[in-house]
Amino acid sequence: MEYLGEWMWAAILGRGLVALAFASAVLATVAFLRGHVTLGRRAFFTHASSTLGVIALMFVLFFGHRYEFQYIWKHLNNEMPMRFVLSAFWGGQEGGFLLWMFWHNVLALFILRRADAWQREVMTVLSAIEAFLGVMLLGIYFGDFQLGLDPFLLLREAPNNLGLPWTARLDYLTSFSQFTDGQGLNPLLQNYWMTIHPPTLFLGFAACSIPFAYAIGALWRRDLSSWIKPVLPWTFFAVGILGAGILMGGAWAYEALSFGGFWAWDPVENSSLVPWMVLVAAAHLLLINRNKKKPTALFSTVYLSILAFLLVLYSTFLTKSGVLGDTSVHSFVDSGILPQLLAYLLAFVALGHLMLLEDVASRKVFGGLALATLGLVAVGHPALGFLAFLAVMAAAAIRAFRREFKGDDDEDALWSREFWMFVGSLLLVLGAVHITWQTSVPVFNLFLEPFAPVLSWAEGVTGWGLLGDLAQHDLAPGTDLDRTYHMVQVPLAVLIFLLIGLAQWLKYKNSDIRVVAGKLVRALLGAVVLTGALLVVYDFKSHEIPRVALLFATLFAALSNADYIVQMWKGKLDTMGSPLAHVGFALTIFGAVLSTAQKDVISQNRIGDISTLNEELNNATDLLLMEGDTLPMGPYFVSYRERRQEGIHVLFDMAYFERAPKAYTKDQIVVHEGMVWQALDDHLASPTFDEDVETHWNFLPFPQESQTSRASRWVNGTPGDEVFTLSPRIQLNEQMGNAPEPDTKHFAFRDLYTHIKWGRVTPPETDEEGWLGGQSQEFVVGDSMFVGGVLMTVDSLRVVRDDERPERGLLDNDLALAACIGLRRGRTVEVHDPLYIVRGNTVVPDLYEAEGWGLRFRIEAFDPENETVEMTVWEHESVRRDFVVMQAVIFPQINWLWLGCILMTLGSFLAVRMRIRQRKASNHG
Amino acid sequence: MKRTHIVLLLLVAGLMGTFVASITSTSRSVDFATAFADPGTEYKVSGTLAIDFPVEYDPQKNTSLTKFHMKDKMGEVHEVWLEKAKPTGLERSESIDLYGKAADGHFRATEMLMKCPSKYNEQNHLLEADA
Repeated sequence: MEYLGEWMWAAILGRGLVALAFASAVLATVAFLRGHVTLGRRAFFTHASSTLGVIALMFVLFFGHRYEFQYIWKHLNNEMPMRFVLSAFWGGQEGGFLLWMFWHNVLALFILRRADAWQREVMTVLSAIEAFLGVMLLGIYFGDFQLGLDPFLLLREAPNNLGLPWTARLDYLTSFSQFTDGQGLNPLLQNYWMTIHPPTLFLGFAACSIPFAYAIGALWRRDLSSWIKPVLPWTFFAVGILGAGILMGGAWAYEALSFGGFWAWDPVENSSLVPWMVLVAAAHLLLINRNKKKPTALFSTVYLSILAFLLVLYSTFLTKSGVLGDTSVHSFVDSGILPQLLAYLLAFVALGHLMLLEDVASRKVFGGLALATLGLVAVGHPALGFLAFLAVMAAAAIRAFRREFKGDDDEDALWSREFWMFVGSLLLVLGAVHITWQTSVPVFNLFLEPFAPVLSWAEGVTGWGLLGDLAQHDLAPGTDLDRTYHMVQVPLAVLIFLLIGLAQWLKYKNSDIRVVAGKLVRALLGAVVLTGALLVVYDFKSHEIPRVALLFATLFAALSNADYIVQMWKGKLDTMGSPLAHVGFALTIFGAVLSTAQKDVISQNRIGDISTLNEELNNATDLLLMEGDTLPMGPYFVSYRERRQEGIHVLFDMAYFERAPKAYTKDQIVVHEGMVWQALDDHLASPTFDEDVETHWNFLPFPQESQTSRASRWVNGTPGDEVFTLSPRIQLNEQMGNAPEPDTKHFAFRDLYTHIKWGRVTPPETDEEGWLGGQSQEFVVGDSMFVGGVLMTVDSLRVVRDDERPERGLLDNDLALAACIGLRRGRTVEVHDPLYIVRGNTVVPDLYEAEGWGLRFRIEAFDPENETVEMTVWEHESVRRDFVVMQAVIFPQINWLWLGCILMTLGSFLAVRMRIRQRKASNHG
Repeated sequence: MKRTHIVLLLLVAGLMGTFVASITSTSRSVDFATAFADPGTEYKVSGTLAIDFPVEYDPQKNTSLTKFHMKDKMGEVHEVWLEKAKPTGLERSESIDLYGKAADGHFRATEMLMKCPSKYNEQNHLLEADA
């Protein structure tokens, strides 16, 4: 049986390559493990070539628009520009795994090329990692159990299509229109950030496996000193790339998504930040030990190098398995590979911890215990089983620490660089633990479940409500970021930055603290002055003292390290990597904290007219802007010009004008806070009325009708020159729902960030005559509402006079009441009076049109006693004006953040270069 | 006692403090009945949009207020006031998580997360219908 038009050969070839990649990775692992290095190298080259083959074949299918393949159909469509083909490639889990494998292979090729003394150990671990990743692509079913996601799965073979009638038709590709086009990549991902952020981040993730592999190798050989020199450049490489990848994610969120910032403490963001923090700590401990004859804190050095990679796996598990479920906006849905992701994670957790133990016997004991705990999982107690597993791992680590690592530490001198680097690293780890803890709340609920009865009992005994809350195992992550994250992270960061400023000037072994203090004076003074300046320019509340302290600490760290560069500059760029990276890190956090703490939501609704309506809540941070209106907003006037569509985007053009002082002429009449004033002379308005009242205005206690009718509200500004246009947009997205995309104006020392909170993407429906669907509402006399830019007020209710009857077409016995409705648009005011007519026992519907206003009324019910009417109001499309709800935020000083990112990445790579040179020098020496 | 040990002890103390602090910062995910029995306390309530009731959003009155009804997991329906502009796709949402407090007569939410159906599933229905 042959299906028409299918590229069956590609499916066969692809699956063959996947199988070959997996088999050769297994072979390479075994060969390197057994010491058959030549065979291992050959097997790994086979693995790398077949992985590359898989990727190349996938691209052929993408470029050929082969929609019979499920992966292509899900991530590509005919409309999609091919420049997004890379984004489409890693848009799904299969592509993500392939990308990750690709980077492992690239890094492994460098290891193989160097073929240093650690090749065998490092390659064993890397091959094993690759073998595990290879499983993720196998796509084999054992009954209902699915092993891996096959990237070459044909659409007709997909589990949810199996058995459907169309899959039996040999000509399905040509006879159904669905197969001539795919679903396409979620438009949110069709973005150039999506082409650079994932590969950078995955390269960072892949690079984390090299320190892990070296650490395992060192434990394997039980040689805990000579791995440090070769692993250092890799570690700094991983720190630099992973850091850049994370920050690109932040930049993406800021530039193209509508989070309203660059960091939201989302679980997915956190889970990439945590490995980075741990890796930075590991890198510093490695540096300490590189510079010592006798090692210190070896256990922490090894353990953190291992932990960074395990956290990468944990992060993959959290985001790809679907456990995070509803706590994250951008985690993947469950794709049925949870068990094997978990197996992958647990296998390497076990490897990392068991290898800490020196003797094979205790490795076997703890390994056996770990397997036994997983038996608990198999018999239906997953939470208890995993908890016991973690306990066994912790016990193994503690035993190793006590038996094999303890007691070899010399006391470091108090004013040595290594002591404070060690403290700083531990603080970083503490921060990482806290973030992991907060992110893992959904995981804790699973672990708390078996203890519910115990906890309830304990609550009964102690009376502590907290225990009862835990017993419910229904914890939800806190939404108050200040309490959830900042309360702990900010004080930790203050300490870390003070240490960064201090430790750069300390020498290894010992230093004279008086000399160091002397060198720090300039940075300290500079930081004090700059913080003082910040306090003058910006308004900080008293509860923001920790933030101010952090700004001070980052300034101190940046200045101290910059000073170090200036003083120690001897024309050697390489040695400046560390201070440069630290300046960058300090500036990044400085920009992040200042721009977030002092962000100014200038779209806050401060318009007088809106507040006169009965508002139920008054916390609006958004501006309602009618098409054609020009409203003051922060330091600008903003005008909504037009709505237009470009492809899948609906753009809203907003023109921004400078705010010029309003010019008043002599005798002009204004209203300010309910009082009427007359100008004494020609003048330009000051920012507030109070500044002008003495010199320029005369109070009119009893204004005449003619005066009040030409009075306008006092304003301080008027639109000046048009300065720029921003076009925030709404992306039409059938898959995920329409999504707003911000538009930002960048200045040197601030950004103006705007996005549409609510806006129409299509005009509303009308009847043939152009009337929009009416809305019915009850009015009490005095009520008012806005309809299409018109303020309508129900002024009074009255009985229709006899002399009006003929012209209103009433019969003699009709009972008629009129509602007097005041309409006001700008300066124009008119009164209209729709009727409520009772003829005999029936109500005669009276449709009343206010000509020239584009409004129609019909009174539905009348209650003279309570003075209420129920009335339907229609609006004509000719008078309808489009409006949007927009948010605009000024982020001050945000460019320090981006500058910091660049310096930090640059500094990391200078450090890599220096460590490579040192390694080469020591090899020759 | 070595200086490193003192540092370690301080860190462990910091760690414990952190955990206690973080437990108090979490809220609990409950049903409407629990939340309304304890007004003023922050809770997370999950459920689905009650489609028998209209979703009200009138930006000309208030740009940051959306009113709708939600059915919680126990089947109880309550009015919800979300202090935000109406999120796109609310009507199509499969499930809703609200973070907020019970007030008089309604649940006042300050944060909301939604799950929308993926187009993948819809497409499958389409295929089934066509074939």
